[in-house]
Order: sequence, then structure tokens, then C-alpha cells
Amino acid sequence: MSPAQCLRGHLRWFGPILSRFARCVSVSIEVPSSVDEFIQGEKEPASSGVVVVLGFVSMLSFLILYGILFPGRDMPVVSEVLPMFEGVFDSGIWFFLLGVIFGAFSIVATMLTEATSE
Amino acid sequence: MDVIVSTLAIFWLLLALSFILIKRGLWIFNDVAKGLSMFMLEKALGPATDFVSGRSGSASTTWIIHGLVWAFASSTFTFMGLWLSHDATALHSFESWGYHPDSSELLYAGRLTALFGAIGMLVVGASLYALPKLCGTHLASESNATLVSLLWTLSVLLMFVGSQNEQILGITILPVANLLLTLASTALIINVILTVSEATQEIPFPAWLIVYAFIGNIAAVLAVFASGAFDEGVGQWLLFHLVGGTFFFCGLAGVSLYSVSVGSGNPLWSKSLVAFTLFGAIITINPMGSTDPSMVVDLFSLSSNDLDASSRDVIAGSFLMALSAIPIIAFSANMLVTLRGADAFVENPDAPGIAELNLGAWMLIPIAIGSLFVQTDALGGVNELTGISQSIDLMAIWLVMMPLSIGSALNILPRASGRHQLSANRSRWAFWMMSGGAFLGLLITMMSDFTDMALTESMAEQGASINMELRKVGSVMFYGAVIGAIFHCTNTISGQYRGRIMGGPSEASLSSIAIESYTLTGPTSIRKILASGATLDTEVSPSEQSEEEGAPTEL
Repeated sequence: MSPAQCLRGHLRWFGPILSRFARCVSVSIEVPSSVDEFIQGEKEPASSGVVVVLGFVSMLSFLILYGILFPGRDMPVVSEVLPMFEGVFDSGIWFFLLGVIFGAFSIVATMLTEATSE
Repeated sequence: MDVIVSTLAIFWLLLALSFILIKRGLWIFNDVAKGLSMFMLEKALGPATDFVSGRSGSASTTWIIHGLVWAFASSTFTFMGLWLSHDATALHSFESWGYHPDSSELLYAGRLTALFGAIGMLVVGASLYALPKLCGTHLASESNATLVSLLWTLSVLLMFVGSQNEQILGITILPVANLLLTLASTALIINVILTVSEATQEIPFPAWLIVYAFIGNIAAVLAVFASGAFDEGVGQWLLFHLVGGTFFFCGLAGVSLYSVSVGSGNPLWSKSLVAFTLFGAIITINPMGSTDPSMVVDLFSLSSNDLDASSRDVIAGSFLMALSAIPIIAFSANMLVTLRGADAFVENPDAPGIAELNLGAWMLIPIAIGSLFVQTDALGGVNELTGISQSIDLMAIWLVMMPLSIGSALNILPRASGRHQLSANRSRWAFWMMSGGAFLGLLITMMSDFTDMALTESMAEQGASINMELRKVGSVMFYGAVIGAIFHCTNTISGQYRGRIMGGPSEASLSSIAIESYTLTGPTSIRKILASGATLDTEVSPSEQSEEEGAPTEL
């Protein structure tokens, strides 16, 4: 069998399959390449809190590491800001007032989020 | 001069006159007066009424939410005042802003915002729902009542400012606040009277208590000014206690008695006791409150005078205060027995507000007796118990008036707004934090007061260190009231949006053994059905099957 005959024979068998494949390809081109819509889960995953805690622990670790690597040196920025509050938070009442401020903001935040949520 | 009896005579006359006018009306001027009043309440305000919802229950909801936010503010001021009583320089850093916080000023701000902001707004809010229900009608003007809440809140805000800074730009702040409060009260009275005039059924006693809470407030002011007693220490003291006995006591009694029946599902135990409560509250002098009438002096911009009572005034005042035990005990007993019912608590005993009503009713009698001793001592000029006067006053506010007003409001709010609080569990936490914090905090502060009094009597040169420690512990304990108020606020506000809809599937059956349906196979008692785990929402369906012994079918 000559190569031309062989190719013709194969085409006879694979022709319909190839044409179907071509149709499939043409169909897949019509499908949008992205959803183009913002999707957000309704419920908060339990593990998301772990990520926040992990970040917080990492921050503390780096702060401790700074103290080990550069002993005796003041923390940049923080050491310049904190003296501004000397004489301000010098009573235990401020610990409680921070709670009051947090409570007041939580009330305002509840009002805003409840009123604007869908 | 006999100030107390002559002033009270005018007060009683004004109340009797108002009763006759409410019952008889204004003869041929009735329709004109009603039309004019409605015009003043709604149309005369122009586009302002379009800013608020006129939906049924909206006014009550607005007032109650404002009241809860003020409860948070007042608990914070009281906590700061208690703290500064042992650590006077704790907030000295504010002095760089020109603000000099002082313990007595902060406690004064706490009292003003608690009385007029929290308790006052909660009582008015609950009344605006309870009164129309008791009269079988609707509130005359929901939109006006909603608008007036903003005016009232503004006046309370000015009261706080005035308590910290007497004058701003040459204007004395507290009388301005009182003027706004009087304007709001007048609008409320017109609204209430118009509502009562549309009553479709016989007005029950709790509704009269609410009506006299509003009318009595104005009548007390008019009586003291008409008798000329406003310029005397006794007259100022009397005005303070008449307002306490009418607006606060009658108002609290009216809404509490309504709420306790609605909340427990039990009928009000005794009509006669409610009548005693109403009549006694008007006739007698309520002893609860401060011995110092400086609040009246400041709000009405009067000249301050010493409480220098004549012997006749001392006798009349002491007698009438002792007589107030009758309405107080009648009210407390009626509340407690209604809560418990004849046999079972019909509604959900864990519903928000029930625990607060129970606490307020329990604490009413001991604190009233304590107040009676303190007031009699002050009126007689003995002044041996002046040292605990402030603590007793704070106890009356935080352990009687605040629980009763919050309890009533939490019961009524779901019915007015259509939604329950977001979480019954958080509500329970709020109750324990508020009641525990206020009870322990003020009790420990009172222990410190007694130590102070003992040291003063023994003329000790140095104060005891334990005294300051006790005040410190007391103020820290009172912080629980602040946290409880925050819980109540967030729970209620969230509940307005995401709370369970009123009338939806009930969650009353918290027990794991609660059953949804009960098959009735034969005659049985309700007790047996309830004992099997059924609740009020359990469906009882009679079974067609018989338990009788079978026999051959007769052909």
C-alpha cells in the first residue's frame, strides 16, 4: 500500500473524529475565559483565624529577634512615638477606658454594618 | 411655714383636675382641641415628619434604642466617677485640653444621663407601645413621638455638657437642657392624652400609672412654683422626690406591670395592688433618690438653699415617706407573684428582660427601706447617714430603676419592632455583667462609705488604707455594668436587622426533651402533658385509637 493510500485510509477513519474535534474546539472558543464575577463565601472558614494568629505570633517573634540581634538599641519609630504618651496613660483607669472606647466603636460599627449589609 | 402639705395639696388638686378632664373631656371643644393638637403634632412640624417612619411601633423602638445607648454612656460616667473617688488624678492628662474631670462631676453626669437618658427614654419607649395596647387603640402620632426622641436625646446631651461645664459662652447649659426636655415632655403628654381619648376599652390601672407618670411630672413642677416653695430648700427637695415618685416610679411601675404579664404569659396577679400602687405613688412621697436637691436647683436655675425643714415639715415628710412603703411593697409583690404565676411560667423564662424585671422587683423593697432611713435622717437635719446617701442613690438607679426599665424595654422591643434580640445568650450575659457589676461594685463602695463614717465619728487623724482599696475594688467591679450595657446595645441593634422575626418558629423550648407533638389517647391533665416535655407550642392531637380492651366484633 502506497503512503498516499495509507493516508487516505486513515483519513476515512479519523475524518469524522477530527471534524468533531474541530467542532469541540470551535465550541470551547465561545466559552468565556474567566467568570468575571466577584464571589465570596457566606461563612468565615474556621482556619482564617489561625492565619491572623500566625501573623501576630510572627510579629512578636521578629520583635524578640530584633532585641536579640541588636541588644540595647531602641526600636525604630516605636521608641520615638511612645514617649509622647508619657504622663497620659499613667493610671490603671486607662486600661478600662480602652475597653470603653472599644465598646463604643463596636456599637457604632454594629450600627453601620447592620444598616449597610445586604 | 408648712411647705410640704401646702405644695402637695396643690399637686393633688392638679392631678384630680387632670383626671376629671381626661374622663369628661372638654365638652363641646373636644373635637376642636383634638384636631388642633393633632395639627400641632404632625402638620405644624412641616417636612420634619416626613423624615421619620410613622409605622406602628417605630417610636417605641427608637426611644428604646436611644435609651440603651444612654445606659452605656451613663455606666461609663458612673464608673469613671467611682474610680476618681480613690484616684483623683487618674485623668489629669485631659487637663492639657482644658478639661478637669472630677469624681463628683462625673457621678453627677452619670446620674443625669442614667435618669433622663437611659431610664427616662426606656420608660417612655416602653410606654409608647404599652399604653395604646392597654387602651385597645393606636398611638396618636408615631412620627411625632419618633421625632421627639431626638429632641430628648439632645437635651440629655446638653445635660452631660452642663454637668461638666456650667456655662458656655455665658449661657447656663442645664436650664436650656431642661427647657428642651419640657418641650419634649409637652409633646409626649399631648400624644398620650390623645391616645387615651381614643380608648376602645376600659382603661386598666397600669395604663393610668403611665398616664400619671407623664402628667405628674408637669403637675409637680407647677405645684412647687404655684406654692412659691421653689425658693426654699424643702420645696426643692420635695420637687425632686415628686418627680421621682411620678415620672420615674409611676412610669416604671406601669411599664413593668404590663411587661411582667406579657413576658411571663401570666395574668396580672392583683388589680387591687395596682390600684394601691397608683394611689399610693400619688399621695405619698417616694424616698428613693438623693438627699441633695442640687439637680433641681441646676435644672431650674434656682438659688441653692439648705434643707432647713420646720418641725411640721419633718413630721409630714417623714410620715408621707413611711406611707410610701405601701405602694412600693404592693408593686414589688404584684410583680414577683405575677412572674411566678399560679403554677407554671407560661412563656419562656429565659426570654430577655425577665431576669431584669425579677431583680428590680426583688431589690425594690430593701433599697426603698434604706432610702427611707437616709431621707428621714436628712430631712430631720440629723445628717448621720449622709455618708451613704450617694451609694444608696446609685443603688436605687442601678439595682432598681435600671433593671426594671431595661427589663420592660427588652420585653416590649420585639413586639414593637417585630424582631427579637439577636442572641438570648448574649442578653443573659449582659444581665449577669450589669447586675453583678452594679451590685458588688456599689455594695463594696458602700462598705467604704461606712468605714469613712466610722473614722469621721472617731475623729481619726488619718484615713484607713483599706478604705481606698475598697473603693478601688468597688469601681473595678462596677465596670461589669459598662460591659453589660455594651452587650445589650450590640445585641439589640443587631437584633433589629438579623434577629428572629416575632411570630416565627419559636425557640422557647430550650430543653432537649421538648416534644413537637403529643398524641392524646385519653383524658389527661395539662400537668401530665407538660410533665412529658411538652411546651406551649407542642401540637396536641387526639388519637382515634382506643386503649380499651378489644373484643370480638359483634355481627
